[in-house]
Amino acid sequence: MSSVPHDPAIGHAPAYGGADAHDHAPRPAGIMRWITTTNHKDIGTLYLWFSFTMFIVGGIMALTIRAELFKPGLQIVDPEFFNSMTTLHGLVMVFGALMPGAVGFANWMIPLQIGAPDMAFARMNNWSFWLLPPAGMLLIGSLFMPGGAPGVGWTLYPPLSIQNGMGMDMTIFAIHIMGASSIMGSINIITTILNLRAPGMTLMKMPLFCWTWLITAYLLITVMPVLAGAVTMLLTDRHFGTSFFNAAGGGDPVLFQHIFWFFGHPEVYIIILPAFGIISEIIPTFSRKPLFGYASMVYAVSAIAILSFIVWAHHMFTTGLPAASILFYMYATMLIAVPTGVKVFNWVATMWKGSISLEAPMLFAIGFLFLFTLGGFTGLVLSIQPIDVQFQDTYYVVAHFHYVMVAGTLFAFFGGTYYWLPKWTGHMYDEKLADWHFWLSFVFFNVTFFPMHFLGLAGMPRRIPDYSQQFADWNMVASIGAFGFGLSQLLFLYAVVKTIRGGATAPAKPWEGGMTLEWTVPSPAPYHTFETPPEVK
Amino acid sequence: MSAAPKDRLAAANRKTALILFSIALVFFFGVFGARLLGSPAASVAVLGGAVLLFLVLAIGRHLRR
Repeated sequence: MSSVPHDPAIGHAPAYGGADAHDHAPRPAGIMRWITTTNHKDIGTLYLWFSFTMFIVGGIMALTIRAELFKPGLQIVDPEFFNSMTTLHGLVMVFGALMPGAVGFANWMIPLQIGAPDMAFARMNNWSFWLLPPAGMLLIGSLFMPGGAPGVGWTLYPPLSIQNGMGMDMTIFAIHIMGASSIMGSINIITTILNLRAPGMTLMKMPLFCWTWLITAYLLITVMPVLAGAVTMLLTDRHFGTSFFNAAGGGDPVLFQHIFWFFGHPEVYIIILPAFGIISEIIPTFSRKPLFGYASMVYAVSAIAILSFIVWAHHMFTTGLPAASILFYMYATMLIAVPTGVKVFNWVATMWKGSISLEAPMLFAIGFLFLFTLGGFTGLVLSIQPIDVQFQDTYYVVAHFHYVMVAGTLFAFFGGTYYWLPKWTGHMYDEKLADWHFWLSFVFFNVTFFPMHFLGLAGMPRRIPDYSQQFADWNMVASIGAFGFGLSQLLFLYAVVKTIRGGATAPAKPWEGGMTLEWTVPSPAPYHTFETPPEVK
Repeated sequence: MSAAPKDRLAAANRKTALILFSIALVFFFGVFGARLLGSPAASVAVLGGAVLLFLVLAIGRHLRR
């Protein structure tokens, strides 16, 4: 088992819940199957397709931004629309693409990895997913409201967010709905992991992907209600005469920043921790070695999660915090580098002297390792308050978080998709296509985002549709890279659709080094698996 | 799975879900409470400490199971 170094017995367990496993009741066909399904695999698939659709929508918004910034001056969109694009791009990618993508992986893989027949609350699982499309429509529909979509940035800071038009209300409702969906999904995941594990599978024998999701789900349950509370206050300030954040009525706009970032910083880890889990499955498999330091990986993830609660004000170093607060938040933020460093060290140590092969999942994992570490280092730079004061709201920050979110989470999602695609579809993906997808993504990602470090260092502010001549060259390079990166993702879509439609038949265990429970069931995974729990020794 | 263990499992699932949902409620109303109490830092610290303690205990209980 990749995450359980001393328990090879699981890897030799007989195939279980074979293709002849009986169905319980006739399944509705066509669209009704997907609307009424309570099967974790179906719902996982729905989440993943929803995530990809939103990724394309958010990507088109990003390309609109990059097209406008291709050269100085205003040429394609007006500044208000540009602001709406930056706002919606952030919200769509965070709440529509990355979070549902991670939940999609969780739905598919957690029951398979812990030997459970399904999620603990199968109907609630269906509801959690089907809340998302209306929320997504509200968010994108805000573009068509009088005054357009909110142009306040994804952080929704007042006083601007109190003054925006009806699009802001739609965004607030969308966040409420997506938050409810996330909380229900998290309750389901925690209950499944705590109560439905196969006999013998103690928590410390669980694959690391499940561990990262257990901790992520706790983070979600604690911070999503805080965001819901903050946007509810915003709503009452806008329409019911309260003054939580309205300075004119005695409120405090900076309070919103505190509450938002109490949610916002753990949110970063909500997005990256499941990616850590995926990488922790891929690297041992393709290194043909157990994960180095399993227990320390679990403790590192827990430490990252706990620290994420006490560092939020590093996003607010320019708001006039007391010196003692600045010092506390600065050192607490730097402290996160320790457990993160433990993880990076353990991944590298897992590869050390391993029998490594470079299939697409491993390529994405190694790409993740390089680029996420780079993003982590720039985060460390930004944690130093005197430097942060200089870089606040510049393109350096944009470069930093895209190295974490795109090269971190998105690369892990791509790697995870190629890794588990044979199990999901029963077919092997086209390795050549997948390799092309990786190399094009890797090169164009760096062409897009590396120059943003230079732009930020030179002082270019973020969220502006026009800029001085001195920033022209690197902006042009970044825009070319963005279009290259965007087009490369069509290759991903083609590779996935091609695998779904056919290809070489995948065996139950397509990867020699795969040792977790999902590789003991046939490929594609039968509709019902582990109805009799497997015995884990 | 026979009826009795199935019912016990369903009851355990419901209990876990209710505890988790109550944490979410505490945090949602805690944000308003913290504002009304006038001491956001103290309120957040108390709430956060309580929840972290719960998490440590909840996960700790399951470590050997």
